[in-house]
Amino acid sequence: MFYQPVSYVSNFFGWLISPLLNFLKRILRPFIKWVLRRTTGLCELQRTCYCEPSGASRILGIENSLKQSKSVKVHTLLQFLDLAAREKRLTAAGSAQIIRNTVETICCIKKIHLDAHRPFTKLFGECVSIIWSLKQLLHDLEEIRTTAYDSSNMEHEKKLLELWNLLMPMKELDCRVSNLWKDIGFQGDDPKTDFRGMGLLGLENLHFFAKNYPEVALQVLSHSNHPIHGYSFAIVGINLTHLAYNLWKDGTAKSHIYNICCHHLQIPGPTLLHFHRFYCYLFIEFDKLWIAEKPATIMEFGRIRSKFENDIRSLLSNTNCLFKLNIPVEHV
Amino acid sequence: MGLLALLRKLRASSEQELRILLLGLDNAGKTTLLKQLANEDITHITPTQGFNIKSVQSTGFKLNVWDIGGQRKIRPYWRNYFENTDVLIYVIDSSDRRRFDETAEELSELLNEDKLEGVPLLVFANKQDLLGAAAPSELALGLALQTIKNRGWQIQACCACTGEGVQDGMNWICQTIKKK
Repeated sequence: MFYQPVSYVSNFFGWLISPLLNFLKRILRPFIKWVLRRTTGLCELQRTCYCEPSGASRILGIENSLKQSKSVKVHTLLQFLDLAAREKRLTAAGSAQIIRNTVETICCIKKIHLDAHRPFTKLFGECVSIIWSLKQLLHDLEEIRTTAYDSSNMEHEKKLLELWNLLMPMKELDCRVSNLWKDIGFQGDDPKTDFRGMGLLGLENLHFFAKNYPEVALQVLSHSNHPIHGYSFAIVGINLTHLAYNLWKDGTAKSHIYNICCHHLQIPGPTLLHFHRFYCYLFIEFDKLWIAEKPATIMEFGRIRSKFENDIRSLLSNTNCLFKLNIPVEHV
Repeated sequence: MGLLALLRKLRASSEQELRILLLGLDNAGKTTLLKQLANEDITHITPTQGFNIKSVQSTGFKLNVWDIGGQRKIRPYWRNYFENTDVLIYVIDSSDRRRFDETAEELSELLNEDKLEGVPLLVFANKQDLLGAAAPSELALGLALQTIKNRGWQIQACCACTGEGVQDGMNWICQTIKKK
């Protein structure tokens, strides 16, 4: 190994400078905010709403600003919203009232004149609605995930058999416990043990993919059955549920989620549908990467999986990120 | 070589490194066991495609644990990981009676492998918390463990989810290696 002065110097600066900058930012933030407030006559929330373009950059700005607020009143308000999300009160009927109350409370705390700042109240309300709808959706996802696959539950069984019929329209399943399940990439003769930590969410994701994008799903399935560069479709699918779930849970996917909500004017906020579509995007892109990498054996899965995750994370780190389903068209 | 790397090397050489292979049928609980050993969250586990590897510190040893997927399709690749194995851990779902024959067959094939000759064997009789789980004595009989003469072996009841019995098994490994 050679001594590399350049990397040491840059490492040294990395260690020293970035914490220092963060420290300075933290110290100077209130001062900068105060100056801007005095000069523009607007609070940070207003400046974010008026200056940032619609989508992730505005909503993330609002979210950070609220989170970093030192006001006790703002924190009480945030707790109230968190509770509403946990109790699933952000429904079509209940949401409007909660959002209106939130906007009025913030205007009161920040001394914003409601009538003079009509555009602000509208934009801010939209941001609040999307932020807390996402939180509520995460609780929903958690519930589906922690629902274990139960073979005595008729609904679960029905969905599983439907998945078979969607993926194998030409082939009848001989019996419920069958080695044929391996043809769509389950590990053994009974898929019930394969859902594990992803519970029903894994099945719902696979089912959505096969049902809503049947052609693509069948194409991906056929790629997965390649004799040399193949992989287990269902197992990889469940693994990708885990990835999608993690990206939503840890907030990495927020850039995409917030952008898609604004672009599609889904004002109340993201729904389960968005999660499923995000999953389908991941599956299609993973399949592409897998084929491009031409792995010698399935044992390379770990390496390709982490490469894929890194790629997706770096795409999502851009606030303008918006994943669009690329439905591949193969020449016949 | 940088100072940090040098320090790391000095520290590493003071403890013995062990290569541990974790095998068993699919859904036996290998990944849960691995995560339990590494004190990680076990509620988000998905079936292992390929393999996982983790380094765990345990009473003076650095254990490099290789958890290889148990699906029938990837069992042929198990042999690629046999080289230089210090201990073989074989995990069994004690409640899955339907597949006891299959798991016994896989184990006996492993024990006949040249590259695993003399490697101590720890069998984890996992999922003891489940209804209808076979006792370790019953499993030992079914696996014909008594007939093993050319290596140290042990069967340990455990529940990878709660961690019960796992440490006992790991202690056996450390004692066996120290005796060597």
